[in-house]
Amino acid sequence: MSTMSTRSAWRALHYSAKRRAFQPSTPYRCFSCANRTQEQKTDNDRMTHFGFTNVPESEKESRVGAVFSSVAASYDRMNDLMSLGIHRLWKDHFVRSLNPGSCLPAMTADQRGWNILDIAGGTGDIAFRMLDHATNVNHDMETRVTISDINADMLAEGRKRSLDTPYYNTSRLDFVEANAEHMPHIPDASVDLYTVVFGIRNFTDKQAALNEAYRVLKPGGVFACMEFSKVDNPVLDGIYKRWNFSAIPLIGQIVAGDRDSYQYLVESIERFPSQEEFRGMIQKAGFMIPGQGFENLTGGIAAIHKGIKPIVKA
Amino acid sequence: MAYLARTLRKRVFNPSLPQSIRQTRAISTTTLQSTPSTCTARNTPRTNKTRYSLPHRTYHSALHARLPDHSYTNSQTAILTSALAHVPAHGFTATALTLGARDAGFLDVSVQLFPRAEFDLILFWLASRRGLLRGHVEEGGLFRRIAAEKGKDVHELTVEERVRGLLLERLRMNAEVKDVWQDALAQMSLLANIPLSLTELHALASDILTLSGDDAVDATWYTRRLAVSAIYASAEVVMTRDPTPDLVGTAAFVERRFEDRNAIADKLTGIGQCAGFGWNTAIGLGRSWGLKI
Repeated sequence: MSTMSTRSAWRALHYSAKRRAFQPSTPYRCFSCANRTQEQKTDNDRMTHFGFTNVPESEKESRVGAVFSSVAASYDRMNDLMSLGIHRLWKDHFVRSLNPGSCLPAMTADQRGWNILDIAGGTGDIAFRMLDHATNVNHDMETRVTISDINADMLAEGRKRSLDTPYYNTSRLDFVEANAEHMPHIPDASVDLYTVVFGIRNFTDKQAALNEAYRVLKPGGVFACMEFSKVDNPVLDGIYKRWNFSAIPLIGQIVAGDRDSYQYLVESIERFPSQEEFRGMIQKAGFMIPGQGFENLTGGIAAIHKGIKPIVKA
Repeated sequence: MAYLARTLRKRVFNPSLPQSIRQTRAISTTTLQSTPSTCTARNTPRTNKTRYSLPHRTYHSALHARLPDHSYTNSQTAILTSALAHVPAHGFTATALTLGARDAGFLDVSVQLFPRAEFDLILFWLASRRGLLRGHVEEGGLFRRIAAEKGKDVHELTVEERVRGLLLERLRMNAEVKDVWQDALAQMSLLANIPLSLTELHALASDILTLSGDDAVDATWYTRRLAVSAIYASAEVVMTRDPTPDLVGTAAFVERRFEDRNAIADKLTGIGQCAGFGWNTAIGLGRSWGLKI
């Protein structure tokens, strides 16, 4: 009895963090024309993976949306618990290796500062780090970051956090709600640095997102991505898998009150392509690969991928 | 034959190789014919794998075309080449690299093309100067100049004189970056950079000896390369603090080191002879005493 009441109290406390019920929109039913219904059908038939289950492509976006809406509030605390705090080291390393901001005076006025686009960076983890690095290390007050995320709840979390930073309400920080596979509001060849950190595995069509990144980047611009990857050491891999599938959903249940979302997270990590495959996808989008193309972190649990848009000589 | 088979398995096919040579090799080696697929399979990752960016062949061959001096792509080479122009002013630093990227029409962020950042600039300097040295020998008639300085004919130059001349020529190429070279040496001595720096040093020593016409295939192959590497590396350090014009001080240092080398070689030969003599005497003495040896 007492356990029941504690559980219900726990649930009530975490009601806001619960995953929202997923309601697919009513299918388009027009009896007078057959075209649209057929289109709808083919669209529905194309399946993609959502964790270990297969779902129609049209559904994945809203399902992922539901997951992240659910975890937005406890995102940071959960990341700390799940990665034992290591995700902060990874992110710091990622930003330091990119070295955003110019320490040299610009040659022309339009070259002042970098234009950084941080995709799936709703909570601003990477964006604030990059702005801090540009300001404090390179003394560059011009570099600006546009945070783009498909999920309004994550963006709201980032906005809330930006209140505590010196960049709140300045032209250096901007929030946009957009789908990374299709960003018509961003002109061609306008971005210096495109980053996506622990986001791209949730995209429905990763190749489309890479192609879009290629479009918005200036020639010579850099695509940088940090994502969970494949561990090469079998011993570490065994421990890591055990941690992923046993501990993380449990932590999610206890701390965020939402087991399913975290079950999805670990499954999506498992389904993400290996370092070499993903490098191939970046290459396919047209990027040049510097050196090996990826850098493993903590034995390959995460990996940093980079690609550079080539300059086409006229 | 076994050695040939072993090396051929490892070798990288060069499409520019004359067809006739390739065929004779293929006929003479059964290993190659039976496993052509493994050959290509092994070669594919090698081209992608860039942990050691210096082109690398595990054996020496006079039959195959020379590997390129470095494995940087066109964009990388463009940036690095323009960055070298900024090195005398800014040193081998990320600043020089960024300025080079700007000069080549890239963005500041494009220096991400170089995972090793300024060390890539140093490696490129080393590799490109090494290529330049070869160019001087093959096209510039460097040996003719050295011979003229000594008042000799080119054919009269000994291998050691050639080695000395090449080594000094290579050191003189560093003259323009002399003041920033200590920083580069410091970079090269970082733990993670040591393997590549040593590979490059060996490549230089090997190039110098090959160009000088050294064709030793016995144990001296190793000792000669070791000696040239040691002399070059120490002369580089001396060069960074050499205020004399045209590196006269460094040249004198190199002369002394070569004399040292010869002295050490003489001593070692003498010691070897002495030991052999002593051993033979001991055996002979034992036999004269009636020992069954």
